[in-house]
Order: sequence, then structure tokens, then C-alpha cells
Amino acid sequence: MKFLKKIPKLKKGSVMKMTSTTDERTLAYINMYAILGGLTALCDIATEAGAILGRASCSIGFAVKDGPHATLNFVGGRCRLTDGTDESDILLRFPSCDKFNKMINGEYTPVPVRGLTKVSFLLGKFKKLTDLLEAYLRQTSDKLLDDGFMRQSTLIMFRVIVAAVAQIGNYDKIGSFSASNIVDGVIKFEIIGCAKAALAVEGHRLTLLDRVPKNITSYMSFADIKSARDIFDGNINAVTAVGEGTVRMGGIISQIDNINKIMSRVELYLK
Amino acid sequence: MREPFTYPNSRKEFMRAAKVIPSGVYGHLGPAEGCFIPVEAFPQFSSRAQGSYFWDIDGHRYIDYMCAYGPNILGYNDPDVEEAAAKQREKGDVVTSPSTVMIDFAELLVDTVASANWAFFAKNGNDVTTLAVMTARAYTHRKKIVFFKGYYHGISAWTQKIDCSGILEEDVVNNIYLDWNNWEEIERTFEENRGEIAAVIAQPYMHGNFVDNELPADGYWKKLRKKCSDTGTVLIVDDVRAGFRLDLAGSDHYFGFEADMICFCKALANGYNVSALCGKDFLKNTVSSMSYTGSYWLSAVPFAAGIACIEKMKRLDCPKLLINKGTRLKKELIKAATDYGFDLHVSGIPSLFYLRIANDNNLMLHQEWIAECVRRGVFFTNHHNHFINAALTDADIDETVDIAREAFSIVRNRHPEN
Repeated sequence: MKFLKKIPKLKKGSVMKMTSTTDERTLAYINMYAILGGLTALCDIATEAGAILGRASCSIGFAVKDGPHATLNFVGGRCRLTDGTDESDILLRFPSCDKFNKMINGEYTPVPVRGLTKVSFLLGKFKKLTDLLEAYLRQTSDKLLDDGFMRQSTLIMFRVIVAAVAQIGNYDKIGSFSASNIVDGVIKFEIIGCAKAALAVEGHRLTLLDRVPKNITSYMSFADIKSARDIFDGNINAVTAVGEGTVRMGGIISQIDNINKIMSRVELYLK
Repeated sequence: MREPFTYPNSRKEFMRAAKVIPSGVYGHLGPAEGCFIPVEAFPQFSSRAQGSYFWDIDGHRYIDYMCAYGPNILGYNDPDVEEAAAKQREKGDVVTSPSTVMIDFAELLVDTVASANWAFFAKNGNDVTTLAVMTARAYTHRKKIVFFKGYYHGISAWTQKIDCSGILEEDVVNNIYLDWNNWEEIERTFEENRGEIAAVIAQPYMHGNFVDNELPADGYWKKLRKKCSDTGTVLIVDDVRAGFRLDLAGSDHYFGFEADMICFCKALANGYNVSALCGKDFLKNTVSSMSYTGSYWLSAVPFAAGIACIEKMKRLDCPKLLINKGTRLKKELIKAATDYGFDLHVSGIPSLFYLRIANDNNLMLHQEWIAECVRRGVFFTNHHNHFINAALTDADIDETVDIAREAFSIVRNRHPEN
């Protein structure tokens, strides 16, 4: 079983670099909630994903020792991520964060400890979905010349990055320091006219919200899909973009400042 | 109603700058760090400045409450300072041997600053905060430095935090960050780090960004002074931002204690580039033994400007003048805000005030109000303390309050519910 090859590297330069130490546990949480969690966005955004899933219904639990425990639920052509693995049809257990991360990189094959009868979903539709996700996140793809593909790719990447920020803020040593300086509230991220996401901060712990609430405490928005893509790819610097007005921020700016510091660590993990 | 400003030339020039300068305009004068929200509400380049005003490259005039983030204390292009600088420039500025005007300036500082027995000159605030910390470490042979959260002591690696760009864990491993005014935390920290703390470095009161400024609690400074003395810890006051706006003898003098070293820059020479570390005798030999210099640090023109600036500040009783102007502005801004149903907090010493509208929990009303003020010719900024200068007139304050009222009315009409 090989679910995802190495996740395409995010280019350097979009945000400023910091201390380069990373850890396997934080990476495991990113791989669970941002990368595999990215399948939720894939199924919402990419029509091919719906075609792959058809009417299939299955849930896959990932139980990582000393790491994340979560389940991907595929039903009605959509995918949702829930905490815990008790109810999953298929259960994959990992003895360490390292092994889970190796699976994401296609270097380790877990054996299901539950749901062997549904293994065909794992090896078939699920594998196709992860291949599709990988294609959408690949930054060097010629397909990016196609506006429609670039748009979908950017929207999926947007969700992956925001989800990764939450995990880095919660588990990474330096990210946690930044999070310790974020006051409680809700931070909205938006690609104007295309996508919104929000992180809730409570007691310096970050949670990706399912929907953006009306009352937020700060926001960071990208003028359009191209501006967002250029920043994600490192073609434009975010600080310059603030001056140019293609990135806007408001509200409690210290929240945004610290989120940007966390965001700058995403590339260290997703390389 | 005034016609709100637009900035086509600023926008054009920013785009030009962004091609050849990292981030276009970097640092606190730039749109990102400067919190230009929205960026379209703020000018990005100036064309000239005079007194308490500057003009942008689109021809708009601003009553300037940022004062170049502090250096402008007497008014831009103050005639006395400019004359002294011009006379020195005719004689020489950056020369192989320093001018004796350097000694004159040091003597004046020693006479003016209550805790000073000597003065060491550099260019920026960061130069002298760094020297102060190095001196404390050299003198005590200890590593750890106590900071207070919300601080700003410059941009060297030791001043930054582990999550800042380009900073190594090793750069900040000896930094201890405490909450301002929390005496129990001070006691616990000194107990847990007995014999290891080289220095406490602090601004005279908490004038950090994004939060209301906080004065020292009763007796706080005196207790901290005693704690440092009892434990052989060097007490450094970073007076770069507040210096000479509270007390010409130093902000430590204003709060009734003496620092071991005190750092000045900003208002020291009314915009000429010079900074100074002043200190007590017992640290003079340590500083003398350090290798610490820069190509332009002994240039004579800023020394002459500094002398003229300090002498004029003395003649004007500048801190009192600025505090009085700031107090009047504070009262009238609060009244204007109240008239429109806004809860405007004005914190800190009035010569160095901090503004925050507290009706909402996310500062967005405040950011809207600031933007409308700037668009009408009052240069406030969103989340930094402001600065009063001596050239600010009563008429300027009247005009400021008029514009503030207009801005309040616009925001109120937009948000009748808040």
C-alpha cells in the first residue's frame, strides 16, 4: 500500500524562515489533519474525486502511537475527518509517528487491524484519491497553466496550509511559542470570492473550524486566487503583498503576526 | 466634511520601491509593520516636513503624531538645532580624529541625566541597548537577561524571540520573559536563577504595541532597583522611546530611582542620528575594555545637533510642555469619542500616549477610526504609542480634535450598533 508519495515541496521565500528544527510528532499531526485532511477539500473541490468515490461509503481510522488518532469518513461523494478511530470500518495502527510519516511518504505499508473485508476500498478508491491529491498539490505540474486546475489546486493548498498551521501551533516547539503569544479569538483566512477558513484560538490551542463564524477577531485575506498562489509558491513575499494591498489584514494584528510566524514553518514540514 | 485623501503617487512609488527594496518599505515605517489598515488609507512616502507637520508626495499635509517614531521632539527642522548642525558641518563631520564637540556632548549628558557618570555614543537605539547588555554580562560574568513582555529593545538577535525569522534558539536561550508589574514573578525568577542574572532591561513603563500602555505599580521600580542591587544584577533602562518626553534627567528620575545604565536615541538630537548609553562609574572600566564601534559613530554634526537639542529642551522645560499638550489632546479626544458613543482609551504618559477604541473585541472600529483620521490629515497609527512634539500648537490640537470628531461620526454612521 502506498497512499501518498512525498508531498510536493512548498517553495521557500513566501514567508520568512526561522529555526529549522522539526519533529516527527508534529509532522504526524500535520500529515493527519492537513495532508490526509486535505482529502476533505479535494472531495469538495475536485469533481474527479466524486467520480472516484461514486456511491462508495467507507471510513478509515489511523491510530498512531503517541500521535494522532483520527478517521476519514467517505460517504455520499464527500470526505470528513473526525477525531478518534473507534467507529472506523478500517483501522490502521502505527507503532510510532515515524512509521505513520513514512506511510505518507510511501515508504511504509501498514496492515489493517480491522476491516480486512474493506481493504479493496483502501487499495482502490482511497489510493486513487491520494494520487489525485498529490497531483493537485504538486507545484511543478504543467497542469498549473490551466486556470481551472490552478484554481482548484490553490484552494486545496489553502486548506492544507491553514490546517497545518493549527498543528504546528499546537505541537511544534517553536510554533507553540508563537501560539503562546496569541490571545483567544477566531482568525479568518480568505481568498476573496473563493474560499474561507478559520482557526479558533482558545488557551493558546488552535483548532481548524468547519465554518467561519460571524464574529472574528482578526483576518488575513488574499485579493484573488492568483495572489494567494503566488504567495504560497514564494513568487511574492507576503510582507510586500501587504504593501501592495494584495494581502490584507485587520483586527487583532498580534494574532496575525504570530500566525504568520507559525505559517513560515509549514514549508519546513511539507518539504 | 473634508474630502478624504487619496494617494496615487504613494501607490506608484511603492510599486517602484518593491522592485528594488525588500518589501518596498521595511520596518516600522512600512505598511506591514506600521499596520496600515487598510493600506489605501495611508501615505507611504513623504516629500517634506516642518514643525509638527509632514507632507506626502500627493501633496497632503498631516499633523504628525508619530514624529518619525520619536526623533522629532522640538519640531521638524528646528532652527536652533539646524543652525548648530550647519555650523558643525562647515567645520567637519566624519573625520579621522573626532571633534571635541563629542566631549561637550558627553559633559552635557552627564550634567543632564541624573544617573549618568559617563556617555558612550553610537547611532541607533539598538547599538546602545546591545552595548548595555554586553556590558552587564562582561561586568557580572553572568548570562541571563530579564525582559518584560511587550518590550522592544531593538533588532539584534538577543532582542528577538525564538520564533523570529533568522533567530537561533542559542541566540535567546538566556532570555527570561516576565510580565510587567508582576512582583511575585520577579521574586520567583531571582530565586530560581540565583547568581545567574546579569541584567534586567526594561522600558520605564510598559509601552508595548497592541495593548494599553501600563505605568509601573506603586513602589515597583524601587523594589526592582533594590532587588538588582541586592543580587549584583545590573539594571538597564531602555529610554530610547520615552527619553526626554517624561523627564530631561531620564525616565528613571521621573519614576524616582536610578538605573545603572540608561539608553537614549530618538529625541536625543531632534532627528540627527546619534544614540547614547549613559551609565554609572562602576561600569565605566568595563565599557572601556570592550571592542565596540562603528564607521559613523563619532561623527560631529549629530553631536552638535544633540547639544542644541538638549539645551533648547531645557529652556522650554520640554517634558512638562509636551505632557501638557498631550493632556489637553487626551481630554478632548476622549470627550469627542464619548459624544459619538465610543469608549476611547488613552493610556501611558500624555507626551507618549497610546490610543484604543474599546467598543469591540477585535480593534476593527479602532482601525476604521484611525484610517479616517489619516485620510483627513491627522497622522495617527493603529497600534503604537504616539509622540507629542514641542512645535504642536493649540490650533493643531483644535484641528486634530475636529478631524477626530469627523472620523468618529463616519465610523458611527457605519456602525450604529456598536
